[in-house]
Amino acid sequence: MKDPRYEKLAGVLVHYCLGVGKGDLFQINATPLSAPLVTEVYREGLAAGAHPFTRVGLPSLTEVYFRTAKKHQLTYVSPITEFTVEKVDKLLSIRAQENTKAMANVDPKKQATSQASQRKIFERFMERSAAKELDWCGTQYPCNASAQDAEMSLDEYEDFVLKACLVHKKDPVAAWKKVHREQAKLCKFLDERKTLRVVAPGTDITMSVAGRKWINSDGKKNMPSGEIFTTPIEDSVEGTIAFSFPACYVGLEVHDVRLTFKKGKVVKATAGRGKDLLLSKLDIDEGARFVGEMAIGTNYAIQKFTKNTLFDEKIGGTIHMALGASYPDTGGKNKSSIHWDMVNDMREGGKIYADGKIIYKDGQFTIK
Amino acid sequence: MTDTRYEKLARILVEYSVEVRRGDLVEISGIPATEPLLREVYRAVLEAGGHPFARVRIPSLAEIYLKNARKHQIEYVSPILEFAVENVDKSITIWADENTKALSNVDPKTQSARSAAARPLFTRSLEREAAGELKWVGTQFPCNASAQDAEMSLSEYEDFVLRACLVHLKDPVAAWKRVHSKQAKICRVLDTKKRIRVVSKGTDLTMSVAGRKWVNCDGKGNMPDGEIFTGPIEDSVEGTISFSYPGFYYGREAEGIRLTFKGGRVTKATASKNEDFLRAMLDTDEGARRVGEFAIGTNAAIQTFTRNTLFDEKIGGTIHMALGAAPRESGGVNESGIHWDIVNDMREGGKIYADGKLIYKNGEFRID
Repeated sequence: MKDPRYEKLAGVLVHYCLGVGKGDLFQINATPLSAPLVTEVYREGLAAGAHPFTRVGLPSLTEVYFRTAKKHQLTYVSPITEFTVEKVDKLLSIRAQENTKAMANVDPKKQATSQASQRKIFERFMERSAAKELDWCGTQYPCNASAQDAEMSLDEYEDFVLKACLVHKKDPVAAWKKVHREQAKLCKFLDERKTLRVVAPGTDITMSVAGRKWINSDGKKNMPSGEIFTTPIEDSVEGTIAFSFPACYVGLEVHDVRLTFKKGKVVKATAGRGKDLLLSKLDIDEGARFVGEMAIGTNYAIQKFTKNTLFDEKIGGTIHMALGASYPDTGGKNKSSIHWDMVNDMREGGKIYADGKIIYKDGQFTIK
Repeated sequence: MTDTRYEKLARILVEYSVEVRRGDLVEISGIPATEPLLREVYRAVLEAGGHPFARVRIPSLAEIYLKNARKHQIEYVSPILEFAVENVDKSITIWADENTKALSNVDPKTQSARSAAARPLFTRSLEREAAGELKWVGTQFPCNASAQDAEMSLSEYEDFVLRACLVHLKDPVAAWKRVHSKQAKICRVLDTKKRIRVVSKGTDLTMSVAGRKWVNCDGKGNMPDGEIFTGPIEDSVEGTISFSYPGFYYGREAEGIRLTFKGGRVTKATASKNEDFLRAMLDTDEGARRVGEFAIGTNAAIQTFTRNTLFDEKIGGTIHMALGAAPRESGGVNESGIHWDIVNDMREGGKIYADGKLIYKNGEFRID
């Protein structure tokens, strides 16, 4: 049965997020589960005059790969992938898992080896995006595996996802444009600040953002979105942050992450469950111990932590920091094969100071 | 539940059919429903040291494309496909359908325009195959749509497909090697013959095969396999053939096909059902009225007609002829946009004479 909401979401993705136009080579990454949305996106892409094509991942192959691949296979970069990253004009990634823990027992060292070898592709992708040669967007198709992590029924989760994407509104594109305008004001204000201090239970951390750009994440690159972010000066982060939510990494969770920074670098890391994963990722390369992103979530249609970074980092009233690669458009220079977002709730007692003045309290901006 | 027969079939495809070697870039194509086999092929490629990549199609998109694409989209050839066709070392195509008639109502003109646009890719892969740079094999995954066409249950059809691939034998690769040697002997005998005469109910046809090569289809290019074929001298076919089985082409079919040849050319064509379609096929181009391939099916494990050319043309005890393009390796030179295999049962009273001597009777060879 056709759900007309997917037609509406496809319209947002193709026109608002990616601005797909005639002649664009338009790649759609998906899994078979997401076929109802892929079908609508494909149709909309054709109607826009583009050349859509799909890259459909079969989830079980990833597991087979990590169980079977030897070193020369883990370090292999396909010439087709290298070629594709240079050619694609628009890229939509639709996540839809059958089991978010399918990779839980894969050797993390093998994952790290593979990731390190794919880094070149990832960096090239980011460069083309920064140079405006490529537009990309990531979204989530509501499936049972994610609903299960969110502790919801599929029906409830579908509503949650589509509401977060503002698809329940009469004109979702107009609603996202409004998000853009509101956040643009905040970014403009923050662009002029030099230092930030974040205070919350267990957290007191300072950083310089002088000369860095705040990016308005208005639903173009992530659907849903609703966040503003920058990259702190790489060696400026000082203090300790205790993340209130578990840090999720490809299906795995690390609880009670507590990081202490000195001159931008993580010098102490503690955690409850999942500590080994945290430590192995911190040692994946030099950049993994530095902050690539500091961000504030602004989507108040998302209030619940659902163990899915796409949504969690947007929760209205949270901040998040990513270890690893920075987005070049912020002016950030940190390089790493990882980009690991960790989210901290600010709704009860959280405060942000900019150049010593309070600008955010209990999950809300106090500036106009 | 893993069906270990797919593991066995995967080994035949990877180790025997395309002989994957360390470092090979191996393309595996299929639809999501083929996952039980695709996953095993993927694993077998990794174990052989190759670099597998899966190209998975979502079946519903073909219809959307053919019904909605405008001229510039139908004529488009993706640079990624152009790149892939130059770089792939081995290619394994797993055929399967959710509905074998899903494209029945698509405008045939759009379909042929698309085939024409994609022809350079097809030609290029044939060239690379002929030059020994690329090995390709096509196989069928047993799915309900094909079982339905075969008038079988899914589990009956599964047994049928796997037996045809000799997977039920203890060592299928050894069995395919035996098929190779047995057919090689027959090809060597036939390579020395000049004239072939085929006689069966309603059929008396002669042709020259002087100087042409008989090709041994031993499971390298198709799985299952089991046929030998050549390209007759283009202007030598004389007489009449009445095909016992219907002829299919892209979901359309004609029954009771009877063709009369003069000077190698079809001069009279009748059918008991869908004669219009038969005539349209013959009028495709000049080459469509000539025989591109004459073949003898040898796979004794296939005894039932299942409306799927991959199997039907291999039925042990049948011959088939293709109107249109001649496979180059036989020495045939006929050119056409079609290659239409039509099958004739020889098991009851069929005879083949080579240079006047009986070499085949009632579906069995008489030469040692």
